[in-house]
Amino acid sequence: MIPLELYILLASIMFTIGLYGLVTQKNGVKLMMCIELLLNSANINLVAFSAYQPNMNGQVFALFSIALAAAEAGVGFAILIALYRLYGTIDLDNISAMRW
Amino acid sequence: MYSELAYLIVGLPVLAFVLCLFFGWNLPRGGGFITVLATLGAFIISLGIFQEIYPGEIVHQSMHWFGEFNVGILIDPLSLVMLLMVSLVVTLIHIYGNGYMNGDPGAARYFAEAALFSAAMLGLVYADNLLQLFIFWELVGLCSYLLIGFWYRKPSAAAAAKKAFLTTRVGDVMFLAAIIILYNNLVNLNITLNPGEYLLQFPVIYAHIGQIPPDQLTLIALGLLGGAVGKSGQFPLHVWLPDAMEGPTTVSAMIHAATMVTAGVFLVARMFPLFYAAPHGLTAVAAVGAFTALFAATMGLTAFDIKRVLAFSTVSQLGFMMAGLGVGAAVGALAVGVSMFHLIGHSFFKALLFLCAGSVIHAVNTNDLREMGGVGRYMKWTMYTMLIGSLSLAGFPFFTGFYSKDEIIMIAYEYGVAINFLPYIFLILAATLTAIYTFRMWFSVFTGKERSNYGKHESPWVMLGPLVILAVFAFAFGMASQHAFYDYLDSNFDHYEVDFGELGIIGGHALVEEHGAAAQAGEHTAEAEESHALPIHIQILPYIVAIGGILIAALFYWDRIKRFEPDQVTGDNDPIRKMLLKGYYQHEIMTGWISEGIVYGTAILANIIDIKIVDGWLNWLSAWVMGFAGHVRKVQTGVVQNYVAALMLGIVVLVIAIAAIRLAMEVGLI
Repeated sequence: MIPLELYILLASIMFTIGLYGLVTQKNGVKLMMCIELLLNSANINLVAFSAYQPNMNGQVFALFSIALAAAEAGVGFAILIALYRLYGTIDLDNISAMRW
Repeated sequence: MYSELAYLIVGLPVLAFVLCLFFGWNLPRGGGFITVLATLGAFIISLGIFQEIYPGEIVHQSMHWFGEFNVGILIDPLSLVMLLMVSLVVTLIHIYGNGYMNGDPGAARYFAEAALFSAAMLGLVYADNLLQLFIFWELVGLCSYLLIGFWYRKPSAAAAAKKAFLTTRVGDVMFLAAIIILYNNLVNLNITLNPGEYLLQFPVIYAHIGQIPPDQLTLIALGLLGGAVGKSGQFPLHVWLPDAMEGPTTVSAMIHAATMVTAGVFLVARMFPLFYAAPHGLTAVAAVGAFTALFAATMGLTAFDIKRVLAFSTVSQLGFMMAGLGVGAAVGALAVGVSMFHLIGHSFFKALLFLCAGSVIHAVNTNDLREMGGVGRYMKWTMYTMLIGSLSLAGFPFFTGFYSKDEIIMIAYEYGVAINFLPYIFLILAATLTAIYTFRMWFSVFTGKERSNYGKHESPWVMLGPLVILAVFAFAFGMASQHAFYDYLDSNFDHYEVDFGELGIIGGHALVEEHGAAAQAGEHTAEAEESHALPIHIQILPYIVAIGGILIAALFYWDRIKRFEPDQVTGDNDPIRKMLLKGYYQHEIMTGWISEGIVYGTAILANIIDIKIVDGWLNWLSAWVMGFAGHVRKVQTGVVQNYVAALMLGIVVLVIAIAAIRLAMEVGLI
């Protein structure tokens, strides 16, 4: 059996990549992808812990989390498409109508 | 039976107010007949109550209102004569108003407001406690305001209404202050009240005047006098009353001559025991009244507007009534009877005079005496009824005004013997001037040549009828009821067992008490004794001043025996003449100095303080907050990356902190 530490290591690497992307990237689609990475690193943790414990709670929870991520992606991309129509770009630095 | 209907005396006019206000627009003549019927009903009920309780009973009904206050009806001799007079006079004036206001587009509004006024005035006179009286007092003030400004599109009428409202408000504030002080003092006495008794009820007040400290009594009396001065147009708050003639003439007759302005006198009469007990209370009343009587009479002498002549005359006669109450320091409760007698008689003949003036104005279409002249040829009825009113006002022997004014002058003489002759001198002079200005007006209007081209027709009978009825009262009321009236009114305070001897000692009237008692006794027993009490030249002086005054007026203004041209007696530049024509420069002083100088100056100062200091620090504070916020909001960059970075930074800090704490705990530092 693969040791638990490796799962956690994988999840940490994924989380760090996602976080790095979130802070550095300007493109809306890339940001969405980074958020997906964050969510999925959390999912890996849930499933791993669930497998090492004699119950299924974590895996069920991961399913909820995936559904949530799908909904979030749906809404997020809809906003991005609307922004693109409005400004002709999805570079978030240029979308500053509500900023001071 | 009628006593149980007493609430309808106010109820009916209130009903008429509502009906006229909502339905009058669709009724002929603005629904004036509703108002007439309502006040007529009030008069009939008052008459019924009079029959039931005359001479020895009073009606007192009361119910709990809120807190320590009640609403109630108190019909004693004082309020009963007022009820009868007010309801009769306003009924006649409303009948007259049906003719006078015919065709005015606002007739419904007029009759609604007139009905409300009738209700308020009737409620005022039979209120059984001071708070209720004050509420109705304010209500008549409101109606006065509304009716003076009845032709509100006319700027002068709107200004006069505002002036009347604000000037009387000065008095009302003092009145309210007096009520509060009185209430406080009564509370401090820790009175144990029987069920159904309340602190501000008149019987309760009367019973406890003696226990209130005298300096407080003076304060209360002066406050009440302030209210009375405002409402009754006494100096120095008289300025609103002549201007109030901007309203329809019926309003002038009803509110500013016959009824509302007498409320001030009524208040002093109602609180007479308190004034009597207050040191200097009655002296102040006498001084204000006597001075106003003379002061206003001199102004009546020079006014050219017929209604203003009558207005100044009203102010002057109200001064007579005030002085009549004020000299009560010498004669005791008799003063109330004498003063109220003049009040009632004055209401009849002054209402008559105003309605006659209205009849003349209706036909001639001008108020200016200089443009009238010779009107008597076309308006016989108006001329003769006005003659009766004028004779009565001038105090011609055997007319109502003679009996009442004569009696006030007599008690002023007694006051003179006992204390001070000044009120007597002022009143005698004022009585002379009264005769002169009254007949100056009458001769100018009805005799001589026509001085302008005016409408020549008599007024309709709906207007003349009330004139004739009022003329009968103006002539006969004095002769018919004089002694019965005094006796009835004298008994007013007996119902409450007011001990004037004891109150007089508090008020420092102990010296004149004996004299007052003697005068009262003389009044009660026989006229022979009374004539014994006063020298004969004092007795006949009122005859002389009345007839002499009329003669003087005739020499100047009646073309048949005219000997002098009024304009030639004094030069054009005579300072006294100029001063009288200008009305003692009151306008200059009140508007020029006080309004524009003092009040406007203060207003400018207040404005500077408001802008620089009050607004200033607030503006500075808000500017500072704005500036600070301008710096702080830079933190909210709106860039998601910054937030995420901050979030992560926060988590890192938290993790390090927790790790440090755990490490410290393991090492044992904490």
